[in-house]
Amino acid sequence: MRQWSTGSMIAVAVAAAAVTAVISVSMTRRAGQAASPAARTADGKPNFSGIWQALNEAHWDLQAHDARPGAVTQQGVYPYAYAQVPAAPVLALGAAGGVPGSLGVVEGDGQIPYAPEAAAIKKENAEHWIDRDPELKCYLPGIPRAMYMPYPFQIVQSTNKINMAYAFTSTARTIHLDQVEGPPDDTYMGHSVGRWEGDTLVVDVTNFNGKNWFDRAGNFHSDALHLVERFTPITPDAIRYEVTIEDPKVFTRPWKISMPLYRRLEPNIELLEYRCIEFVEEFLYGNLRKQPLVKRWEGDTIIVDITRKVPPGDKLYEWYRR
Amino acid sequence: MGRRLLEFIAVAAVLMAVVVLLKLAPAPVMGQAPTAAAKAGPAPNTPWGEPDLQGIWSYDFEVPLQRPARYANREFFTDEEQAELDRQRAGILNQSDRRYSRGSEQDVGGAYNAAIFTTHKRTGRRTSLIVDPPDGRIPPLTPEAQKRRAAIREFQLALLQGTDVCKNKLEGCAGGKYGPPSPRRAETPPNYLTVAGAGGPGGGGGVINRSDGPEDRSLGERCMAAVLPDFGGNTGFFLQIVQSPGAVSIFYDTGQGQGWQRTIPVTANPHLPSHVRQWWGNSRGRWEGKTLVVDVTNFTPKTYFQGSYENLHLVERWTRLDANTIEYAVTVEDGTTWTRAWTVKQEYNKQSDQANRFYKEPRCHEGNYGMVALLAGARAEERAFAQGRGPDPATMCTAGCGGFAAGFADTGEQSNPLTR
Repeated sequence: MRQWSTGSMIAVAVAAAAVTAVISVSMTRRAGQAASPAARTADGKPNFSGIWQALNEAHWDLQAHDARPGAVTQQGVYPYAYAQVPAAPVLALGAAGGVPGSLGVVEGDGQIPYAPEAAAIKKENAEHWIDRDPELKCYLPGIPRAMYMPYPFQIVQSTNKINMAYAFTSTARTIHLDQVEGPPDDTYMGHSVGRWEGDTLVVDVTNFNGKNWFDRAGNFHSDALHLVERFTPITPDAIRYEVTIEDPKVFTRPWKISMPLYRRLEPNIELLEYRCIEFVEEFLYGNLRKQPLVKRWEGDTIIVDITRKVPPGDKLYEWYRR
Repeated sequence: MGRRLLEFIAVAAVLMAVVVLLKLAPAPVMGQAPTAAAKAGPAPNTPWGEPDLQGIWSYDFEVPLQRPARYANREFFTDEEQAELDRQRAGILNQSDRRYSRGSEQDVGGAYNAAIFTTHKRTGRRTSLIVDPPDGRIPPLTPEAQKRRAAIREFQLALLQGTDVCKNKLEGCAGGKYGPPSPRRAETPPNYLTVAGAGGPGGGGGVINRSDGPEDRSLGERCMAAVLPDFGGNTGFFLQIVQSPGAVSIFYDTGQGQGWQRTIPVTANPHLPSHVRQWWGNSRGRWEGKTLVVDVTNFTPKTYFQGSYENLHLVERWTRLDANTIEYAVTVEDGTTWTRAWTVKQEYNKQSDQANRFYKEPRCHEGNYGMVALLAGARAEERAFAQGRGPDPATMCTAGCGGFAAGFADTGEQSNPLTR
């Protein structure tokens, strides 16, 4: 009896907790207005409209990795790889300039199946991150990278089209659920054609120009990239996002990443501009100023020398250097 | 020599972008009578019962923003006037041998066929996009705005003072004088530099004859020219609208690869705090019957529209009139710039969704070799001058020099008959 009584008290407590949770969720919902649409659209599909964001470290590196002291590091007092120290470009940022560790988002053995020559390029990319990463230049981020950058994006879901607007550099892609002609040329953001498989939105993405990366670790692809993305609701406020990545010019077999995307539930959430073209002018053109802004500072001030090399083969630079 | 080549490269980069745009533009409608639009179906609703603005949109006819003085008090062109304007525009734009005197900076600046920089759309019925005030003109500037404009104009003229533009008394130097290079060349401009803008060559927004860094160049050259409201300008635009309950998404394919994404929240929430500013402002939409009404505020001091900066306030009204037409009406207000509010109406025409003639890329920025070439060219000129191998850069012109900028001359018979 006593046993039973304790059990039932626990059951009641659990039920009460559940009710409280439901109430607090619905309170949030009411306050949230735009952030909490119906679970399904007028045509009965899962409703993905709203503002979303990945909450992980994939933008640093798709693969599992240790935390490290800087986005760019150099040898410290000891010559061990595990004892590196932050290098000049991020030194002044202190603990804000480091890279968080991650369990990675690559499925299976966690390996990316690069062909041997592509693996060498990936390694070089990582070593020349500042010189080569298109994100640093505020170039269009491409897919899938735009989906897990540390910025929110907004889905506007209609019947024949689904628009995804990304805060980063005010770009977007349209997923066509209807019949359209393809783009006349290769693109940064790809050409997205979608269909529903039950409650899963499946998107086929092609027509890339091969100029994008996957992350800040130098993972890259060619213009032969072909993605199959799958968006499946986990709850009304979370989506399982899976991508099968195929690129016979770079990888020996298709491989897959997956992660949840989370709804931004702040009641006043909206997509703000991140118009980084302006932010990178100094980075891109600072060396061509009449009066350079970046100098070797003297005296007690930390002197930060930032090296940004022009990647070999950059046509314009090669030309104007002549 | 080096500079010519550099400018050529810069121009070539822009030209390539334009050629891409033109390839995508719908077939010209020169033969089509403006009044003979096929009977369109009724304005549709979305499955969730809101007015449906979705699809790809552009405008099929060229209408001047402001009514040319010679059509004062007339809202419409006659059929004959329309035909004559089409004839004149086509004539000027298709002429290939007009040029400034050979070897002059204006000649070099316009040495390519700039006619591709402007749309070849047929002239529309209306004499101005502005419907209020009734004279079809932008209202007078406030004394404060006049002062702002005069200050930037004075600075522009100071930087042109030592050049051929002033020596030869060309339009670009109107109001200025020729003389030795001005010490003002070392000064900070009186306000943020934006676009060539209204007020005649080089007026309004402030393009200056200097290339010390990217900020000296126009927002267009910096790949940031996209502005709200957008009436198409020389190159035209396409809009792609997608809706859901609670949001209207619009991608503006505009300005030679300078397109941008706008998502209008349909919400009763207040605007952003007044210290949070954005280049394209902060939009708040609501449905009033069949019309999407959007209130836009919180622009930045770097935003420029016809003389207005951060105090710009827009009230847009988007109405689907029928299956093929959206009426876009916008009331523009800024008490620090104009003596009264003014209203523009533009008709958007539906484009084929299936043909999908809509291109979000390549963006201007990813291929902005023009900026590198401009700055590298300026540095090369300075080095050459310092080594006694070239003229004083202060006597050369790289902006506001005049020329056939959009395929038309600055003034006279070969200027744009829709804006002269």
